[in-house]
Amino acid sequence: MSKTHQQTARAASASSDRRAAARALAVMHWVVRLRMLVVLALLVVAVTILTDGDFAGPKNLINVARQISFEALIAFGMTLVIVTGGIDLSVGSLVALTGVVAAVVMQATLDWAAPVCILAGLLTGCGVGALSGTISGSVITRFSVPPFIVTLAAMLIARGFAFIACSGQTVYELPPGLILLGRGFVLESVLGKVLPVPVLIMLLGFVCFQILLSRTIFGRGVIAVGSNEEAARLAGIRVARTRLIVYVLTGALCGIVGVMQDAKLMAGDPKVGEMWELNVIAAVVVGGTSLFGGRGTIWGTLIGALIIGVLNNSLNLLHVEHFWQKVVLGLVILLAALLDAALRRLGRQ
Amino acid sequence: MLMTKTSRRGRVSTSTGAAATRWLTVVVLAFLTTAGCKRSEPTGTEPAAAEAEPHAKRIGVTLLTVQHQFYQDLRAGLQEEADRHGYELLITTAEHDPSRQADQIDQFIVQQVDAIVICPCDSRSVGAGIVEANHAGIPVFTADIASRSPLGKVVTHIASDNKQGGRKAAELLAEALGEKGKVTILSHPEVASVMDRVAGFKEKLAEYPDIEIVAELSAGGKRDRAARVMEDLLQSHADLSGLFAINDDTALGALAAVEAAGKLEQISIVGYDATSEAREKIKTGAIYGDVIQHPRRIGRLTIGAIHDAFAGQSPPAVIPVEVGTFTRESG
Repeated sequence: MSKTHQQTARAASASSDRRAAARALAVMHWVVRLRMLVVLALLVVAVTILTDGDFAGPKNLINVARQISFEALIAFGMTLVIVTGGIDLSVGSLVALTGVVAAVVMQATLDWAAPVCILAGLLTGCGVGALSGTISGSVITRFSVPPFIVTLAAMLIARGFAFIACSGQTVYELPPGLILLGRGFVLESVLGKVLPVPVLIMLLGFVCFQILLSRTIFGRGVIAVGSNEEAARLAGIRVARTRLIVYVLTGALCGIVGVMQDAKLMAGDPKVGEMWELNVIAAVVVGGTSLFGGRGTIWGTLIGALIIGVLNNSLNLLHVEHFWQKVVLGLVILLAALLDAALRRLGRQ
Repeated sequence: MLMTKTSRRGRVSTSTGAAATRWLTVVVLAFLTTAGCKRSEPTGTEPAAAEAEPHAKRIGVTLLTVQHQFYQDLRAGLQEEADRHGYELLITTAEHDPSRQADQIDQFIVQQVDAIVICPCDSRSVGAGIVEANHAGIPVFTADIASRSPLGKVVTHIASDNKQGGRKAAELLAEALGEKGKVTILSHPEVASVMDRVAGFKEKLAEYPDIEIVAELSAGGKRDRAARVMEDLLQSHADLSGLFAINDDTALGALAAVEAAGKLEQISIVGYDATSEAREKIKTGAIYGDVIQHPRRIGRLTIGAIHDAFAGQSPPAVIPVEVGTFTRESG
């Protein structure tokens, strides 16, 4: 490099330094944002090696994707709830309740054309879920009761009603076409068994919620409410309405998943969804959403759900004892929470 | 959030800190997976390794739960017989979630196991999973709880005769009460086999006109819940003289409540399964007696049926396993 060049470089050093700094910062930003993707990738590699490639077989991957799609779909709604600083413990019970009620409706309308019957089930399921979300959300916002206790109560009530709605007996007379929603494949005659219907539904949900959270005024409001409720209120955001809507949306998602669950089992079973709330919350938190609210992404949640799904699947493939599986999963969730805390601390520095 | 920082020092510490945490996570994850995998090794592979056969038959098992003694014994029976034949067992548990059980069945299909054993979480909703296994050409066996779904084909169902068990429980309780008194049932209505027990119990008890059933409540088959339900019952029915508990966790939970209330003399308890803890209580007289199932035997017979099926024979559709009783005298 010539002398003149060095001089000009030094003269322009202030501005170029700033540009380089900005670039480095942007790179860092992405690295931090993508940390969970890195974890997922390494997990996949490790598991593939440990299972002699069994994990990476296409059939297994499709199976894992299908298994994840149910809880992931709910996790998208849960992400919004948690970003507002709330929590929804009722989702597992709601899947059971909406599934059972939808099954009862579909059983009653079996004489109708199958698509109408299934649509009736879907609408009922979503309706019941949204109604439950509305009630929980209203109690939370109107009477400022902590979401934890309200949705804990909703969890018990919904589970009770799930058994009451079917008198404790699994409902199993459902329209045969329903099975497509739980076990079908998209364009099976053309593509083969590649894209399970539940995965497609989950991906559609992903796109909708990704746009909703990151590209709409409502989504900005959700984040604002979670970061600083008072500031959000002063900025003219309708805080109560925003907080209510996230519970309604999550309830409606539970309704969809409830019907998908009916389809998967070809039965409306009041026992499904036990402990799902914890898996869903774990997926959201592992995906980098802060339990303190104000920070979170839908795609992070998708990766969180994938990490938990891959872990669950690989622990089975590796024949890990049931009790050890709990230990491992618990530790992973703990690590994710620690990571979250570490990043928060760094963020404040 | 990170974008807002401008100082150079802050930036550096961010990058190293985040990288460190990231790598730590990865290392620990990798370690956990390996550690977890090593841990499980001793459960299934010892005898299989001895045979070193390249084509050991693999059998997928999805249990209702592994938290009850009954299922731990059933599982031991499965393992015992599988070891004898050199089969590899892939054991999973659904812990009462029918959805998770369906996932496990799907998993076995992907793994192309040679047979599947299901202890259904729900007699109806297990059907869709069985259909998938049927499509994949994998024979399905049920143990302990039968499929009552219109969907799917099961080769053989192996279980205790639960109605007979319920009748035996009624006989035991009648004997303990001198054929008169007020009794209650602590049940678990979600489980079909339990309902068979209760049905058999009621059927037999109807033959004793001086015994009245004053309450039938669910304790979910769990000890803590049974204790609480029993406390309530002791309040509402002070003159209670007998109790039929549909399993030993329920019996032991109820016993704790009865002991706490000082009503051990007044109330006779009949349980189900005779786990080792219940046996101790029967020997001391705190529990009058138990109906015994033979879960180990159910496990062994299940693998036996699979062995027959592998050999090209067709095992019977149902293999009932006799139940017995366990009392202070017989123990």
